[in-house]
Amino acid sequence: MTRADLISLLPEMILSGAGIVILLLDAIAPKLRRSFTVLSVLSVGAAAWGAYEAWLSAPGATWGGLLETSGATYALSLIILLATALCLLASQGYLRREGILAGEYHALLLWCATGLLLMLRATELLTIFLSLELFSFCLYTLAAFHRRISIASEAAIKYFLMGAFVSSFVLYGIALLYGATGSTRLAEIGPALAVGGQGMPVVASLGLLLLVAGFGFKMSVVPFHAWSPDTYQGAPTPFVAFLSVAPKVASALVLYRLLDAVVAGGVAQAIEKWTVVIAALSVLSMLVGNLLALAQRDIKRMLAYSGIAHMGYLLLALVVMDRDSLMPVIVYLLAYVLMNAGAFTVVAMLYSRPGEQHLISDLSGYGYRYPLLSACLAICMLSLGGIPPTVGFFGKYVVFLNAVGDGLVGLAVLGVLASLVGVFYYLRVVYVLYMKAEERQPEGLLLDIWGRTAAVVAAVGTLALGIWPWGLVQWLLEATAR
Amino acid sequence: MDTILELLLGNTLTRLVFFPTIACLPLLFFPRTGKAAKTYTLIVSLIELAFGLLYLFAHLGSDGTFPQVGDRRYTWIPGYGIRYDLVMDGISMPLAMLGIFLVPIVILGSWKGIEKHWPAFGASMLLLTTGVLGTLLAYDLFLFYVFWEVMLVPMYLIIGIWGGERRIYAAVKFFLFTMAGSLLMLIGILWMAWTFQRLNGGVWSFAYTDMLRLDFPVHQQVWLFAAFALTFAIKVPMFPVHTWLPDAHVEAPTGGSVILAGILLKLGTYGFLRFALPLFPKAAEVAQPLLVGLALIGILYGALVAWVQDDMKKLVAYSSIAHLGFVMLGLLAIDQIAWEGGLLQMINHGLSTGALFLLVGMLYDRRHTKKFSEFGGLAKVIPVFAFFLIFSTLASVGLPALNGFVGEFLILTGAFRSLGWPAVVATFGVVLAAIYLLKMVQLTLWGPITKDENRELRDLSFRELAALVPLCVFMLWIGVAPETFLKPSREALATTLAEYREGVERAEVSQATLRALRATTMISETGR
Repeated sequence: MTRADLISLLPEMILSGAGIVILLLDAIAPKLRRSFTVLSVLSVGAAAWGAYEAWLSAPGATWGGLLETSGATYALSLIILLATALCLLASQGYLRREGILAGEYHALLLWCATGLLLMLRATELLTIFLSLELFSFCLYTLAAFHRRISIASEAAIKYFLMGAFVSSFVLYGIALLYGATGSTRLAEIGPALAVGGQGMPVVASLGLLLLVAGFGFKMSVVPFHAWSPDTYQGAPTPFVAFLSVAPKVASALVLYRLLDAVVAGGVAQAIEKWTVVIAALSVLSMLVGNLLALAQRDIKRMLAYSGIAHMGYLLLALVVMDRDSLMPVIVYLLAYVLMNAGAFTVVAMLYSRPGEQHLISDLSGYGYRYPLLSACLAICMLSLGGIPPTVGFFGKYVVFLNAVGDGLVGLAVLGVLASLVGVFYYLRVVYVLYMKAEERQPEGLLLDIWGRTAAVVAAVGTLALGIWPWGLVQWLLEATAR
Repeated sequence: MDTILELLLGNTLTRLVFFPTIACLPLLFFPRTGKAAKTYTLIVSLIELAFGLLYLFAHLGSDGTFPQVGDRRYTWIPGYGIRYDLVMDGISMPLAMLGIFLVPIVILGSWKGIEKHWPAFGASMLLLTTGVLGTLLAYDLFLFYVFWEVMLVPMYLIIGIWGGERRIYAAVKFFLFTMAGSLLMLIGILWMAWTFQRLNGGVWSFAYTDMLRLDFPVHQQVWLFAAFALTFAIKVPMFPVHTWLPDAHVEAPTGGSVILAGILLKLGTYGFLRFALPLFPKAAEVAQPLLVGLALIGILYGALVAWVQDDMKKLVAYSSIAHLGFVMLGLLAIDQIAWEGGLLQMINHGLSTGALFLLVGMLYDRRHTKKFSEFGGLAKVIPVFAFFLIFSTLASVGLPALNGFVGEFLILTGAFRSLGWPAVVATFGVVLAAIYLLKMVQLTLWGPITKDENRELRDLSFRELAALVPLCVFMLWIGVAPETFLKPSREALATTLAEYREGVERAEVSQATLRALRATTMISETGR
């Protein structure tokens, strides 16, 4: 263990340490609970600094090649930390309103972020699996955090059962890959796939397929999506702001790594096959996600299906894997985190009965009652719909540009047609906010300063990065250049 | 930061485009009711008008021509070669001026009609102004696309918040129709940029001038042209993608209708003139018969449907389809005279249809109905209103010495010269226009007063006159001295026409070369 090894784990150490401290404080001094938000957000900030330090002082492989820090992992770490911070800010009001404010919530969330950060940088399959389990367990627990309402338990059980099933898929896939190649390190798996003459061994293909299914599940890509609407509906809404974005960020990078290994194998047949698989997942997600979202009356379910569709757009960039694929993926993920977490943050504040349906029509006329939050929600919706000048548009732009450049004009056209369907249901939220008369008096809402801050940060970020994306792109291009 | 200030403070296009947006911000703090927001928006729009005139007279040549002028170019997103590039030339100048000119009139026209959320209405109008001007002046395809989409949201809000009964249906339909086309155009733009990048060793560009130099083979041009043409045809709107327009017009508040007919529709025809035709000339030539056919159907269909309406606003809305059909005929004729006429007719339609919508709105403010059966004999009660209605109608019909005549005459002359019989068919449209528009005048103004409510109507107020008189002044001015308005655009149109013709030639040459090349390969292969 060298100094570089330690530094490279700085963000994870900070986050897990802060989680323990918060848990202890919760036991020793429960009166401090109100301050946990500040404390945990500060620790997220410290973790961001840690990630920077790790990138600066310990780039490349550490821990004997188990972890690898690069510009891309640094960027994605920051994105995950951003999602964590937004979720933490949005949570306090919700937890206080529901009377379930407790340190476990913050601690679990921080540990969850730990697992995600670890998975981002893991280049070895077992490390990936361990970090996957670490954050998954936190997610299952958090999904059930609102104990008193039955749909929360239902959500958590569904998520847990399917998640456990999928974990075994992943483990089995790792075993098969190991059997075929004799290694669990991605850098060695790639070249080993090519050895042995014709094509990729069937065992290895099967192993990869299981892994793709596993991470497709975490990303809620069709056909592994069925859990997400139910889980989103029952889980605490501010937590969904995290659940719907952060695991997807880390899983997308792992998926990229897996496909990268296939490409590194250099077996043309295999690469072609994987192109078809990813294209199919992408098209299915875009179509199914958008069409089902169209039919939703509950805003959380609608956002769940829209999230499925967004992962479809994201996969467009991975259909043809090359060195240009990473940048669009990162930009899209950042855009997705800002707008989706922003939307859930506002939803968390504007609905006061977590056990019931979150009907879109309940927002009628809120545009004039809550101008700030409604404007934030509207901006996030327009961004999700891909309308300039928002970062959602820019994200779609880089993804579609990448697709057109890879010769996938047909897929790109399909993508824009699917996103047109998307515009329809995103607009529904906007018109309900501004064009319908108020239907029922809101009651029991708790609009605290933290929640407002989170919503405003997300909305302003959505707009600012949409108008001025260059700084971001420039930095990413430099950071992801190999 | 310095450059931003420099651009905003100088007499620049940037100031013209972004002043309304910046001026929006204080509206956030205005009270929701009361006159303050209205007055503020009106003042802002008048300042914007002054900026527009300042810019116009700073660059208008002493011989009445207008050169191509622009702000300094800046790189916006360098990695993709996306530039912030605003340029005004003889084609965009008249339309931009029309847009700026219409805003204060719309504000005056909405004074009474808009009853709630005035600050939001003012902000939407001002943001819409930014979108429209940006779309007209953008010389970079990416920038153009961004402004094109930016226009959508405020218009959507204007229809959806302040519209009539079925406003949400109309607003969503408007949004989705426009978006459907523009998303395909986005793919087209990406394809072009990518091709440019491939041909130029990795250097990206979305610049209009660079895109002009891209010579696509005909089979690719056809697809790209289809994507662009569909977008613009929806906006114009051409038959059969016009169905959103009557809904949008009927449901939109008066101000929304005026701005929609006055300037938003023109962006479709402008798109054809600026982008679809010169960028893909060979494909445009291939598609010309089809598009001319659709334009003719639009003229006749719009006129016939307008004829049978029992609602004033619907009648004017369908007349828009017919009038825009004329403009499209002029543009598709690919002829200098027809293009001059087409461009002038865009302005004419903005003025006369804008005035008609305003008048319908004024009547609606008084009686809360737009049905013909509710009116009749109004000329005796409100003679000043009657005068303006007749004046605008006659301008719209194409009475000589008013603006409509000049535009239609030039279009028909040019179209006859280059297309032949379609111009003859279009002439029937002129006759039909006279029939349905005069029907409107007859049913509302003449005859006995059938309804008692109509006896007590107030005539036009000073505010309403202030909105109408400028429009009518220009209708007369263009009709009497059209050369003043034709001259600034002549050179720009000639340049675009030359570019178009060169593009067709280049495409033919490359096609011929390709054919020759194939022939030689075949010979050499058989020889072996």
